[in-house]
Amino acid sequence: MTESATGVDTKPRAPGGLVRGTLRTLRNEFTDKERRLGYILVTPAIAIILAIALFPLLYAIWLSLQEIIINQSSSFVGFQNYVDMIQDPDFHSALINTTVFTVLSVSLELVLGMAIALALNRAFKGRGIARATALAPWAFPPAIAAVMWRLMFQDQVGGGILAYLIRSSGIYTHPILGSDSALIVAAVLVDVWKTTPFMALLLLAGLQVIPQEVYEASRVDGATSWQQFWRVTLPLVRPAMLVALLFRTLDAWRVYDLLWVMGNRQLNSLSVYVYNGVKISQLDFSLGNAAAVFVFLSSIAIAFLFIKVLGTRAVD
Amino acid sequence: MTTRKVGKHRSAMGRREFLRLSGAGIAGSALLSACSGFGGEEEASGSGKVIMSHGPDPVLEGLLKKQLEDFNAQHKGEIEAIFRPMGEDYFDQLRTQFQAGGGDIDVISGDVIWPAQFGANGWIDDLSDRFTEEMQGAYLEGPLGANQYQDAVYGVPWFTDLGMLYYRADLLKQSGFSNAPATYDELFSMAEKVQSDAGVRHGHVFQGSNYEGGVVNGLEFIWAHGGDALDTEDPTQVIIDSPESAAGLETYRGTVEAGITPEAIVTFTEPECDAAFRNGDAVFMRNWPYVYGMLLAGDAEIKLNQVGVAPLPAGEGESEGFSALGGWNLFINATSDVKDEAWELIKFLTTPEAVKFRAIEGSYLSALQETYEDQEVLDQAPVYEVAGQVTDQIRPRPVSPFYGDMTLEMAEEFNNSLKGETSPEDAVATLQESMQGIIDQGTS
Repeated sequence: MTESATGVDTKPRAPGGLVRGTLRTLRNEFTDKERRLGYILVTPAIAIILAIALFPLLYAIWLSLQEIIINQSSSFVGFQNYVDMIQDPDFHSALINTTVFTVLSVSLELVLGMAIALALNRAFKGRGIARATALAPWAFPPAIAAVMWRLMFQDQVGGGILAYLIRSSGIYTHPILGSDSALIVAAVLVDVWKTTPFMALLLLAGLQVIPQEVYEASRVDGATSWQQFWRVTLPLVRPAMLVALLFRTLDAWRVYDLLWVMGNRQLNSLSVYVYNGVKISQLDFSLGNAAAVFVFLSSIAIAFLFIKVLGTRAVD
Repeated sequence: MTTRKVGKHRSAMGRREFLRLSGAGIAGSALLSACSGFGGEEEASGSGKVIMSHGPDPVLEGLLKKQLEDFNAQHKGEIEAIFRPMGEDYFDQLRTQFQAGGGDIDVISGDVIWPAQFGANGWIDDLSDRFTEEMQGAYLEGPLGANQYQDAVYGVPWFTDLGMLYYRADLLKQSGFSNAPATYDELFSMAEKVQSDAGVRHGHVFQGSNYEGGVVNGLEFIWAHGGDALDTEDPTQVIIDSPESAAGLETYRGTVEAGITPEAIVTFTEPECDAAFRNGDAVFMRNWPYVYGMLLAGDAEIKLNQVGVAPLPAGEGESEGFSALGGWNLFINATSDVKDEAWELIKFLTTPEAVKFRAIEGSYLSALQETYEDQEVLDQAPVYEVAGQVTDQIRPRPVSPFYGDMTLEMAEEFNNSLKGETSPEDAVATLQESMQGIIDQGTS
């Protein structure tokens, strides 16, 4: 780019140039004795990393390309499992449920988490205790939290308090546990209750590294609190927000325990779909494997998207 | 989650639970249930140690503990039986162990729906040599038949279960009814009248959740109307798509539409039903015999003398209802290295005396014919009287090595139909395709 801009080299580069250049660099790397020794020395470490990280992954992909019925034959079928999976109505419901759950829970958690983080960032008496208390829900094991909330949402044995309140306020008059959409909404609420503190904690860490001088300077320039939030706080907290959103989105995307227990094994999500295929069904082992690879690849895509979109803006 | 057109073979929302959850509370209890075994010290198997497993059932566990102590005393120095309690995901745990090479459990208690699948995979032993035809002759046909698959017999019936109609005899009498309903039409009108006369919350409760119990209940409604799931002559043929089956599901959903059954029935399992009934919140209830044992204990709001038990009602135009066969059997793990000792334990747990002990102490139903004529049992476990009347109307759930996958489909469709999300006709049509797809995929 710089060369053509200065007019020194106007000829377009030959397509092979890049490859030749790379080859030359590689040759240089290995002709140097000391460098070669370096490569030899790190080879075992790299091999171990590849074996640990890559092998299971490649094995899972390999399995997903076979038709396997437990205790019976297995044969290579290419991408047939993926085709079957995409046509499976249960996969659609898993994808829809997971997407709805992820979008709703993460966005609610971001908004609420930010509000809590801003509050906790202020100096006030008992701030330490307030921070510790706010984290309490996060410390619950998800399955226990799910059982606890399920008891409050059911309206049979003893009558759950939430079921009673929701019914008598007229918001929703049908049994909550009897409808998948109501269950998803309930699960989102439980997830928000449980992980907002985690989000707040990560955001709080981001808020605390913003130097006070920036706020002072903006105040001198006559910025209102609102402007301070949009123009100072938000851009500077963005790296922390990226990390928090990334963690939460991937967690929500792979959600299993909360939905499994809340829905008493009936609420579908991508991970539930994988489990059902691999563990519950006798015939759908391959389908479950394909779905597992799908969850993995889609998680990577989500992570990539976040880093690409939020990461570059943070640099600007 | 709603209708499915492709005959693709799976349900992602299915779940598998055990039919007997006697005494357990709702969801929470599963997590809280203490998992401690008893019998001898649990070590690696071999050298006369026989490990036996069963799913969650606190009442039975108490009786079993006593029986194993007797067994161990009798075989001191030779065989030591050890009990290992399993959780609600017993089936999944067993299957994982089998797929991983067998596991270390020697005597496996198993649901009546498992022998075909376990046997077809070679996970449990064919007991034909030990469980002679003469011995088999002492058993009721239904519970024994559940263990037979393709000329082999894979298990010995341990105790049996069947669906019964519990009703509030006192309230029925107050409203002027002298008999239990023989048909669903009668049940509907009686429930409505008693509900309004006595101000009872629910008319009829049953197990409608999306799980194995829901499959049992759905099938019972279908059978009562003359339908069925598989062709009994040729079990590779699905015949569920019939007007009779649709009529069964019509009545199933009809309970909710008539207002005699709460909308929340779609989440009901056994504990929700028995809790409602024992609190006096239901006029009728379909449940297993264990509730009788609970009522015998006498600590509930409703006492035994207020309750009657009857066979399940018939559908329109049919002469009788059918109840699904439940119950548990004892298998020997194919990889066990103490098979002779395991067989000794099975024999011990299935003697007429052992069966009688469980009958009197816990109202567990025997699979042996003679127990139903034993006066002592009839006196002390009155549930036997009703059970004795309905033994001819017991039907097994579809017997197929692919039942495990089929039942998930049925659980989901029956539940959708009960919710009113799928019409009965669509539900049976969907099932026809998906269940046939499973059989075709499995046998190809």
